[in-house]
Amino acid sequence: MKTLRQYLKALLNAKKLLAYTFLLCFFLWVTTPFLMILLKSVGRNWFGKLWLPPEFTLDWYTWAITVTNIPEVLRNTLVIAGIAVGISTLIAIPTGWALGRRRIPGKEAIMSTILLPRMIPPIAYALGVAQIFYRLHLIDTHIGVAIAHVAICAPYAILVLSSTFEGLDERVLEAASVCGANNLRTFFHITLPLVMPGILSSIIFTFTTSYNEFTLTLMTYGPKTITLPVRTYLAVGEGYWEVTSALSMILIIPSLFVLFMIQRQVQPEKLVGGFKGV
Amino acid sequence: MSDWMIELVDVTKRYGNIVANDHVTLRIRRGELMTLLGPSGCGKTTALRCITGQNIPDEGRVLIDGKDVTDVPTHRRELGMVFQNFALFPHMTVFENVEFPLMIRGMNKAERAAMVKDALKLVRLEGYEKHYPRQLSGGQQQRVGLARALVYRPKVLLLDEPLSNLDAKLREEMRFEIKDLQKRLGITAVYVTHDQEEALALSDRVAVMNKGCVQQVGTPAEIYDHPATKFVADFIGLSDFIPAKVVAVESERVVLDVQGERIAVPPVESVHVGLDVLLFIRPNDVRLRAAEGDRRPNEVAGTIAKSTYLGDKFDYRVDVQGVEIRVQTHGAERFENGQAVYVHLPYERCRIILESLICAVR
Repeated sequence: MKTLRQYLKALLNAKKLLAYTFLLCFFLWVTTPFLMILLKSVGRNWFGKLWLPPEFTLDWYTWAITVTNIPEVLRNTLVIAGIAVGISTLIAIPTGWALGRRRIPGKEAIMSTILLPRMIPPIAYALGVAQIFYRLHLIDTHIGVAIAHVAICAPYAILVLSSTFEGLDERVLEAASVCGANNLRTFFHITLPLVMPGILSSIIFTFTTSYNEFTLTLMTYGPKTITLPVRTYLAVGEGYWEVTSALSMILIIPSLFVLFMIQRQVQPEKLVGGFKGV
Repeated sequence: MSDWMIELVDVTKRYGNIVANDHVTLRIRRGELMTLLGPSGCGKTTALRCITGQNIPDEGRVLIDGKDVTDVPTHRRELGMVFQNFALFPHMTVFENVEFPLMIRGMNKAERAAMVKDALKLVRLEGYEKHYPRQLSGGQQQRVGLARALVYRPKVLLLDEPLSNLDAKLREEMRFEIKDLQKRLGITAVYVTHDQEEALALSDRVAVMNKGCVQQVGTPAEIYDHPATKFVADFIGLSDFIPAKVVAVESERVVLDVQGERIAVPPVESVHVGLDVLLFIRPNDVRLRAAEGDRRPNEVAGTIAKSTYLGDKFDYRVDVQGVEIRVQTHGAERFENGQAVYVHLPYERCRIILESLICAVR
């Protein structure tokens, strides 16, 4: 009982109360829209001023999966995300290494250029991409949509990896070589394990970016390459709110899974920057 | 078998226009602990990196155990090294850190475990095998570094300012521990530091470096009592440098003219009458007495310009006809500012230093 009393006392502490209030507001602000969608996707005949749906059903999910051809759409989304992650990581490893570990003249300018696709309005950028892609016949191809995604995925990857590589302590690598390890063994035993959290976080960031990407996909997709966010958007136009909500829930699941993975597998505090020597 | 474990022969290393090592020749005996001492940028770390192979000298050779290793890469030089920032592998436990050199050498598991256990026992870190470096204090981390360097019994132990990142008390403790370990294992060690006290306390011999050159190599006592250059004298302990001119060179003594007074000092080679030199003496070797009666040999007259109480001693600045001599006394006798005193420069404590001598050892 004593601990409970102490706990309540601490909770009533004015400062903490304020902090908890803010936290609660933030929590509600983030979760309420999700809650709405969740209820909508399982509710039937939910109209007017009712707080909760009068009936619950999973029909909308069945509808979503059959009518909107979810397996196909999910496959597109994952294939595109996979290609985008692959290309972004391949670009980002050497670029991040150069930016993080070497003295390069005009490093800031290079960094700004890399970040440019993220700075300008996506729709403007997407329009330009679309015009080029029409000429190159890249519209409605998995690789085309993925390449469009790379423009906004790679900056993340480069940013994360350059700071990971920058945090890699040269003297630790020297220590390995004094201990008798040649370059190859130093790489596998020391360098790789030390940068792995950074590479993982870069992959997770780029994956979620591509997975969630809407604007660029909208301007480059076609019947064969429709992705989940675009499909959800189209469902809104078709007017079935319940089905759209169900689609949204399906869209969210992999993101939640990734978030869960980040929390469990890789401690987030270690992600950006990797290890910092001692 | 060569007497020397490590030899740097006429090593020159340049970084662009900067000459980091200027024809450095250093020979380190088997089983001895030699310190490379000097201010930052003096080239001591460059010299160490030439031994490890992280630097390839532009000129000169590096020999370890009689073998020319100038072109041998670091990982095949069979060295143990302790780093200033510890440089432990952050993703490995203490056990894995210490095991790393053995694992690289392909030893079997049982053998490895036994050797790691021995090494950890050596540095008194038993029971910490499963800890990660970040869970340890600075002193413990450096002990892990030491264990990792010693675990496979290398011929040579290199220590690059290993105590600089530790606090003062721990530093002193670790100093003795390192010295003790080095003697017990009989390993040849090269210790880089900018801390003269550390160098004097630890070393069998000290190499004082400045501006890429070795200024002097000798035992701590030699370095302290017979500094070869002004830099060495100045870098180690407190010094008085009194401008003087040689007026007589005899077999038993050299007579100097200091502000018109005659001071006899022990003889040295390579001085001649008329040469301008510096008379060097440690402030705590200078004696003071009130100016009463006649002056005795090797005394000059002066007045106290400034006195400072330092707890266990007094620090005086004595003005001798425009030349300031610093004196530290432990005696009970106090002198007041402006008081006339006789400054005694004891014959056996005086040294002649040639100001023109920049690099003593070439």
